[in-house]
Amino acid sequence: MLPWLILLAPLVSAALIALITGRARRLSASISVVAVLVSFICSCIVFAKSEIAGTEIPWIEFQGILRVPIGFVLDSLSRTMLVLVSGVGALIHIYSPGYMRDDPGKSRYFAALSLFMFSMLGIVLANNFVMMFIFWELVGLCSYLLIGHWFERDSAADAANKAFITNRIGDFGFMLGILMVWAATGSVIFDDIIPQTWRITSNPTFLTICVLLIFCGAVGKSAQFPLHVWLPDAMEGPTPISALIHAATMVAAGVYMLVRVGFLVQASPVALGVIAWIGTVTAVMAALIATQQDDIKRILAYSTLSQLGYMIMAVGLASDEAAMFHLFTHAFFKALLFLGAGSVLVALHHEQNIWKMGGQGRNLFLTFVTFGIGMLALIGCPPFAGFFSKDAILSLAYNRNPAIFGVALFTAFLTAFYMMRLFVVVFFGKPRSPAAKTSRESPTSMLVPLAVLALLSLFGGFHFFASHFLTLPHEREAAAFIPGIALVAMLLGAAGAIILYRRRIEDPLSINLLRHKFYFDELYRVLINATQGFLARVSGFIDRWIIDATIVRGSSGATWSFGALLRLMQVGNLQAYAFIFGLGIIWIIYFVLFR
Amino acid sequence: MTTLGDYLTVSGILFAVGFSGVLLRRNVIIIFMALELMLNAANLSLVAFSRFRLGEDGLPSYNAQVLVFFIITVAAAEVAVGLAIIVALYRARRTTHVEDINSLKF
Amino acid sequence: MISAPYLEVAVLVLGTVILLIESFFSKFDRRYLGYAALVGLALIFLATFFIAPQSTMSSAPFWNFYSADATSLFFKRIALATTAGVIVMMFDFAALVSSGVQGATPQSGLGEFFALPLFTCAGLMWMASAIDFVLIFVSLELVTISFYVLVGFTRRNPASLEAAVKYLVLSAVATGFLVYGITWIFGATGETNLQKIATVLSGTGLEQNAALFGGVLVIIALGFKIAAVPFHIWVADVYQGAPTPVTAYLSVGSKAAGFIVLLRVLDPFLILPQMQTLLVAIAVLTLIYGNLAALPQTNVKRLLAYSSIAHAGYLLVAVVSFSGRAVAFYLVAYLLMTLLSFAVLILVSQPAGDQLESFAGLSQRSPFLAFAMLVAMASLAGVPFTAGFLGKFLVFDAAIATHHFGLVVVAIVTVGAGFYYYFKVVRAIYWDAPPASTDKIIVSPLTRVALIALIAGTFVLGVYPQPIFDALAR
Repeated sequence: MLPWLILLAPLVSAALIALITGRARRLSASISVVAVLVSFICSCIVFAKSEIAGTEIPWIEFQGILRVPIGFVLDSLSRTMLVLVSGVGALIHIYSPGYMRDDPGKSRYFAALSLFMFSMLGIVLANNFVMMFIFWELVGLCSYLLIGHWFERDSAADAANKAFITNRIGDFGFMLGILMVWAATGSVIFDDIIPQTWRITSNPTFLTICVLLIFCGAVGKSAQFPLHVWLPDAMEGPTPISALIHAATMVAAGVYMLVRVGFLVQASPVALGVIAWIGTVTAVMAALIATQQDDIKRILAYSTLSQLGYMIMAVGLASDEAAMFHLFTHAFFKALLFLGAGSVLVALHHEQNIWKMGGQGRNLFLTFVTFGIGMLALIGCPPFAGFFSKDAILSLAYNRNPAIFGVALFTAFLTAFYMMRLFVVVFFGKPRSPAAKTSRESPTSMLVPLAVLALLSLFGGFHFFASHFLTLPHEREAAAFIPGIALVAMLLGAAGAIILYRRRIEDPLSINLLRHKFYFDELYRVLINATQGFLARVSGFIDRWIIDATIVRGSSGATWSFGALLRLMQVGNLQAYAFIFGLGIIWIIYFVLFR
Repeated sequence: MTTLGDYLTVSGILFAVGFSGVLLRRNVIIIFMALELMLNAANLSLVAFSRFRLGEDGLPSYNAQVLVFFIITVAAAEVAVGLAIIVALYRARRTTHVEDINSLKF
Repeated sequence: MISAPYLEVAVLVLGTVILLIESFFSKFDRRYLGYAALVGLALIFLATFFIAPQSTMSSAPFWNFYSADATSLFFKRIALATTAGVIVMMFDFAALVSSGVQGATPQSGLGEFFALPLFTCAGLMWMASAIDFVLIFVSLELVTISFYVLVGFTRRNPASLEAAVKYLVLSAVATGFLVYGITWIFGATGETNLQKIATVLSGTGLEQNAALFGGVLVIIALGFKIAAVPFHIWVADVYQGAPTPVTAYLSVGSKAAGFIVLLRVLDPFLILPQMQTLLVAIAVLTLIYGNLAALPQTNVKRLLAYSSIAHAGYLLVAVVSFSGRAVAFYLVAYLLMTLLSFAVLILVSQPAGDQLESFAGLSQRSPFLAFAMLVAMASLAGVPFTAGFLGKFLVFDAAIATHHFGLVVVAIVTVGAGFYYYFKVVRAIYWDAPPASTDKIIVSPLTRVALIALIAGTFVLGVYPQPIFDALAR
């Protein structure tokens, strides 16, 4: 019963808002908040009571071919994710009414938000690939709706399209992977696949292709290189959405999915290698780009990319525990950072350029403190949450693959650098714009979630807290000096940023390559234009001369005239009909009795 | 002594006559009579089968004979409705010839 | 707990009462009779869920004729639901019933119009339960004769009368073959009960050819009911001429009952191998004819008639594959989408006629009706996530499981042709420019509710077919 409640409460809320309370904007917000609170409370109960087992009801059954139930899996992994998703979701729901106070599309916003919670919880609960894929697509759809919330802005509409299309590319691979698993094992239910895994693993090539295709889904959804381009643009959506979808939950879905099918992923060393390097490349690339961005939300977006790279790296290094640990802590401090940024933006009337801020430490004191905690957690400063999880991944990398360790360490240095840059430029120095001079602290409903998240970012990494939720990785003992090295890298980065950016009014560094994000967007545009142009010409030729002229015109003409001929059988005369009837009878009697 | 075969032959001829009536006659009312002939052909052979296939107790199977009564009743109902439709058609079109009723086609 | 035969009795009583009220009371709104019929049908539909299971111990002779198993109950529900849907359509059609009669009040003739479908419904329900040729014949004729009246109901309309005469004569020919076939089966086996016939047929020392001859004639008569090629020839003309609600009734109710009887009759005969080949041949012909002849059609009602032939083809594929489940699900899906399309057709064609042009620009005149027609057409064509798609999927699945690969290939190719002519309608609705007089089409609340229910049903069954399977496997 409870799992149903968790899943359906947001759906009911979305339906109510969409169908009934569309006009009453405040009521819509309340319905949505209540629904997510119901989900959260139920999730907590499910988490606390381990005797609540997964259930399933039959959905599609074709005997012997395909069985897809609507089923829930409730193991330690999904329980933790449930609490995490609904908890962070609840905080962001509470924060949202304040942020969206004057928005005319508030009801639409909350309907989509509730639908998003439904889909995301569906991914977490799904006990089979088909259900997961459907919710996976739904999440993509909700993200499209929410990024494009301010659809009257061209940039928002473009960003929504870009996110949707990029995700579809990954999802296509994911779907092929699912079909391959189904073809090999005859089932799409995780529990039924596990005993059949040998059918896939017995053929290493098949296994590798299969895992990499499934990984494609994660590359799209978790915005890994080379499909990372949508995430920074997705910052066109309202800031709470950036916090919820593009930091704490949706992008984590890819990591969650990889952990969920860990039994397959870990069986293929080749695929693991690819996954680890993709994660590493994403981490360092995003960190490099982040050092040269001016938009506060984009910096945070690139830092998200970079942290997701860490998680994927951990999956690739065959440690699901480390990946989940980082996912867990990251959800707290990244949501905190985004909500903090949102608070700054509200105060500054949606001015996103950090060089037009400055000196906000005095005006927005609570935001300043909480944002600082989030920043320290992100750069891995002890004793904040990020320190423990990042340390776990670094130790892991040191033990398994020194090259990756080196890159990861460099990324840690960069992380400290760009976050400190952001922090110094926004909160210290003198206000650099009229809005920044007169900024005022945000309403309480926005500050409470900040405070809660700040507490979680502070304690989230400690063993006594996190071990309730997760199996913690044990790589620590292997290399006792790793935390020291990480700390040094972090301090170097932070110090460098402070020295470089203190009291500046504009960026002293300007590296075009990084400013333009390694020219990925331009590269893709050129590539797409070139291939499209070429394909368009080729397919235009085929279309006009082969398909249209011969196949379509020819065959459609033939069937059409045959149909017209058959029609002529209906002459309208009763006795002609009786005659055809009689002929049919003679034919059939001959057919059955005399042949 | 007439045999089962004789009855079946007569019934077959009746059925064929009925069906050719449907195919060849032009007047809808005659066609309708020919249809009744087809039903009666079936009645005849039903009774014949029933009479010549005695059960173990020496009695004919009365199922078939009951069915004959049903067929007669149903035929009567069919005639009642059918004639009504034909009369209505005559009123509307002033004709009962089949060649004339072919406005619905193709 | 109710004994199953009372269901038909209840329907008959309902029909008779409505007819009597119509005859003896004159001054009231005849539409109340329609509402009464709807409420009565709904109650009887509810009652089907409280049927006492037929005790196998019961040896009363009655149960030699009548079966109350899950399948027959299921088809009784189909009959009841269809009848209710048809009566809802009749409300919208009522204006046309008395038009053309001089000096007629707006409501003359309406009472019978609401009562007759109830008698048909009783016949359909008996057909669903019939397991003896006597009951099969009588119930089939009850249905057929009440359809004669319904098809010719608008008796000042020459097209309707012409359709009635064609239906009358051809259907009577089919009846002739049916009884003649029954005769020969009786002659060969000495039985009229299907189970006993099956026992005799599986034994040895039997005039096999005589039984086969009879069986073929019976199948021909049933092929007429379900509109299988080459006995489909009446379909297009009669469908076009009949009042539209009656057309919908013919294409759903009559067909569903025909299929349940066909399944039951074929059961003993499928031991004989020729039957199998015969049915495959008929299915192929039906698929090709229905889909291709629909291509050049511009009259929507006639297009739906050809499409109904095509769907009989898919159903026959399921019959050949012995999949009662696929037949049942397909029929439910077919019920939903056909009633939906005819209901929209009635509303759209009232002022402008059945031609495709009257659908032009419907999306601007009535977005709701346009959407309803879109759903109906998508489901008929077999677009995923609609009931029509899942129905076709089950049929193909069953055909593949029984290794009828050639049949599946033909069926899939004809589905392609189907997309063409169904989307011709959609194109007219959404892309063609509306005619000059763009009056809004008024949809009464009752019809609106019915349409919404049909649309919802189409989507729900498209993703969650389990309730149907559960009802069948009781």
